[in-house]
Amino acid sequence: MSKKQKDIIMLLAFTAPALIFYLIFVLAPAAGGMWYSLTDWNGLNPTYNMVGFANYKEALFDDMVFKKSVLFTLKYVGYMVVLQNVIALFLAVLIESRKKTKMFFRTICFMPNMISLIIGGLMWMFIFTKVLPFIAENTFMKFLDQSWIGDPNFSFYAILILSLWGGVGYLMIIYIAALQGVPKAHKEAASVDGANSVQIFFKVVLPMIVPSITIGIFIALNSSFKVFDAVYALTGGGPGRATQVIALNIFEEAFNMNHRYGYASAKAILLFLIVFLITLVQLKIMKSKEVEM
Amino acid sequence: MKTKKNFLSSVIILTILSLYALFSIFPVIMGLLNSLKTDGEMLNNMMALPKKIQYMNYVDAFDKINFFKSVFNTLVVAVVGVTGMVIFGAMAGYKLARSKTKLSKILFALFIMSMLIPFHSIMITLTRISKNLHVQGSTLGLGMIYIGLGVPMAIFLYHGFVKSIPYELEEAAIIDGCGDFKVFFKVVFPLLKPITATVVILNLLWIWNDFLLPLLMITDSDQYTLLLSINMLFGQYNNNDWTAILASLILSMLPVIVVYLVLQKYIVRGISEGALKG
Repeated sequence: MSKKQKDIIMLLAFTAPALIFYLIFVLAPAAGGMWYSLTDWNGLNPTYNMVGFANYKEALFDDMVFKKSVLFTLKYVGYMVVLQNVIALFLAVLIESRKKTKMFFRTICFMPNMISLIIGGLMWMFIFTKVLPFIAENTFMKFLDQSWIGDPNFSFYAILILSLWGGVGYLMIIYIAALQGVPKAHKEAASVDGANSVQIFFKVVLPMIVPSITIGIFIALNSSFKVFDAVYALTGGGPGRATQVIALNIFEEAFNMNHRYGYASAKAILLFLIVFLITLVQLKIMKSKEVEM
Repeated sequence: MKTKKNFLSSVIILTILSLYALFSIFPVIMGLLNSLKTDGEMLNNMMALPKKIQYMNYVDAFDKINFFKSVFNTLVVAVVGVTGMVIFGAMAGYKLARSKTKLSKILFALFIMSMLIPFHSIMITLTRISKNLHVQGSTLGLGMIYIGLGVPMAIFLYHGFVKSIPYELEEAAIIDGCGDFKVFFKVVFPLLKPITATVVILNLLWIWNDFLLPLLMITDSDQYTLLLSINMLFGQYNNNDWTAILASLILSMLPVIVVYLVLQKYIVRGISEGALKG
């Protein structure tokens, strides 16, 4: 046996265990999903028919519920990408400016990220349905008495508050790490030149952490397109289907309502295409940034 | 003048940070406070301290969410999943980084590709395949599914780390007559400890807090993970029995919070490393 053959056998031996699990539980389902998206399979019948792109056509043009869930998800993504990043960066800057209380605030502000959004969602449900009405009743803050879960206008903000509560800490950690990478000498030099701290932030610090901001934006984009737990725990997609997001729509189509596996698979592929597109843009932008540096 | 201005800005910054910190712990504090009250007391004043601490809510909660059993089930899933990811991920990541063949490049690309696929895009067919293979319905099977889902990220992290360790050590072991597997487990694997810690932390947290996959895979309440038991709360309790529900929530949050406070340094480092490399 030649050395090269031996190398290849060893390569296969080392990668085989990972490859087997990966093939069965990721690649096969991905390929199967693509196949079933072209059929009218209902998940139960052993037989099904090929329907070509009819499922995609239906999802894109005829399914008002799906369309609404896409629009709702887009609105959610827009708010999340901006707010999650701005708040996280703002907190990171403030925390980094502290000395003695730095650790304390970092610990507390990151803590919600450790808690499952299912548990966090139920706790926030308590806040929205019980505590806020109670505060409204007993203080001057009457505006807090809203139907936070029952009224679609307010339940959007309820979901947003829960998501930010859970998600800001994660980006904050990334931004703190980025800020620590900015050399002190740069800031001191600007300070000697008479720049105030706001100027130093925008002129010196911000340009140096642009790569981290790119990462932060794409993490927020990716995770909010796939949002599920927060909505599931807080509103279940309701009232009616007013707060249904894409992932929840797929879930209901396949498992709760009609068992239209083929049709749900087509929607799942559409979600994949959205996320895929975002990632491609991300890689492109990151690459061009690397060249600059 | 300068110090006065500094003092003022310090006060403003500390106020903002304190308000955000309050927002972060507000639900936990309200949950804790009211989980120790009777229903009547809670409705009377949600912000007040409990008059007499009601341990019974917690005794009740232990029972309703089957706490020890649920924690045990979650641990089984996590241990199976994370162990598989670490061992298989390290083996594959190591060999893929060291091998200079074309095949290794193709395999690496194949693994990395999946990091683009959202879970929701494969969950429907995954559920069918798992059912057919009879891995659906058990914590052991669920752990095995996590290996498949998590191993690409582990391979990616190990692959990057292996490139940074010198080849000389392995060379010496090979000259001593060690086979490939022996070289890996005796020499290389111990050197991978820092990245193994990151892989373990990231995936433990993921599996512990993951909800949708267990929801799809586990139907028997004997096998429920902690979050599945929590999900059932609203069916078991009257929807307004908030004191009891809150006790269950606080109880199930406790393990993660304690681990976080003790291992904070490592968790924060692991998360920022994982995010920046992934």
